Amino acid sequence: MTAIADSIAGGEIGGRLWFYANYHCNLRCAYCLTESAPQVNRRELGREQIVERAREGKELGFTSLGVTGGEPFVLDYMPELIATLGSELPTLVLSNGTVFNDRRLGEMEPLAELPVKVQISLDRPDPDANDEMRGPENFRKVVEAVPRLVERGIGVRIATTLEDPEADPHGMERLCELHRAMGVPDQDHVVRPIVNRGRAATNDMGVLAGLEQLEPELTLTADGAFYSPFGPTVRGGELDTDMLVSRTTSPVREPAKMLARIAGNRPAGNDASIGIR
Amino acid sequence: MPLIGVEQAPILARPFYPDDGPPSPLTASLAHVPEVLEVTLPFVGRVLGPTAIDARTKEIVILRCSSLMECRYCVETHTAVALDCGLSPGEVRALRGEEEAEAVFTNPDDLALIAWVDGVALGRGAAPDEVTARAREAMGHPELVELTLVAGATLMLNRYCSALGLPTSPMTLARLAEEGLA
Repeated sequence: MTAIADSIAGGEIGGRLWFYANYHCNLRCAYCLTESAPQVNRRELGREQIVERAREGKELGFTSLGVTGGEPFVLDYMPELIATLGSELPTLVLSNGTVFNDRRLGEMEPLAELPVKVQISLDRPDPDANDEMRGPENFRKVVEAVPRLVERGIGVRIATTLEDPEADPHGMERLCELHRAMGVPDQDHVVRPIVNRGRAATNDMGVLAGLEQLEPELTLTADGAFYSPFGPTVRGGELDTDMLVSRTTSPVREPAKMLARIAGNRPAGNDASIGIR
Repeated sequence: MPLIGVEQAPILARPFYPDDGPPSPLTASLAHVPEVLEVTLPFVGRVLGPTAIDARTKEIVILRCSSLMECRYCVETHTAVALDCGLSPGEVRALRGEEEAEAVFTNPDDLALIAWVDGVALGRGAAPDEVTARAREAMGHPELVELTLVAGATLMLNRYCSALGLPTSPMTLARLAEEGLA
């Protein structure tokens, strides 16, 4: 057992190794942490690098993988990459759910045989309210895509991101009815607050989240290794460095050791406190 | 080179940021690579900071090296430090090459040290035998080892600060103006 595996088993750092595949996206959401949009700097991590680091992470003792962006599925190689990752460790990939055309869905079919889940953002049970934050046609595309993924046997989670998750219980119940109707059970529905970083900070939205509120989860990007997937945010076009662990991302044991050292210095009991996942 | 302020300081860099003011340009630039910062600053601090060798002697080495390398940032910054360590304005000018060292320094050990720094900083390969011999008469082995590291670390910093064009702090520039050493 490696020292990193010990830190994971002891709960000092999270077991999921995250990758920011890219920063560009077909959408321009109002609360996006990374100011993602079609024309932004791609900051693409690279397919081979992700696979190499995932395998290193597995050897070190990481227990699962996560892929986020940007929108990962704007990269042509993403379905195949996720299949490769899923054959190594259980893998969660975050998506806005709007780029799953027939060809892409066909490419994703092998994921049904693997421990892979696609986490798709859906915030509101009504198109107008949902699309106000996420852009035109977002709701329609998501409610079309989710059943098509489910019917192919691909694991789907729904992620709901709200300014105040407690503010509208009736709306939340209608949203839950919707995801159940699409074949996504309650245990695969994640609700979290908007985090006040990136475009959300510019738009004065969300809750403040610092090291005390976030679980330490090693997150690798083209710009370096970060404390949490909520760390490598972008504001005003500039990458935030306040949660930067190191510029070194390979060998993975180096940033992993640094993260474990940082996490070991957190006060006892000062665990993730506002449920941001 | 954008300097990283305290709000954006990476986690491993934060302990090196002062509680009571802005970070030095050296710290705020190294913060771009926190895993390098966290080993570089302790090294620089130990080699250039307080040790068995007195601060005045170290500043002779640092200021002379910096002047020879024409590192504006290091010359300006260490002019202020040198004054604080007891070097006179005349000695500072001599170390900066504005006056002949032999016309200002009277202690033979100081002159031997300056000649040795000139040999170490400017020479290719080993310093001239005569210069090394004079330095060995003036210093013991531990002192020679440590001051060689002081010179080497200073040369590294000279290149770093010059290449990145680090800005001298306004406070230091004001001090130099007051002392007539701007």
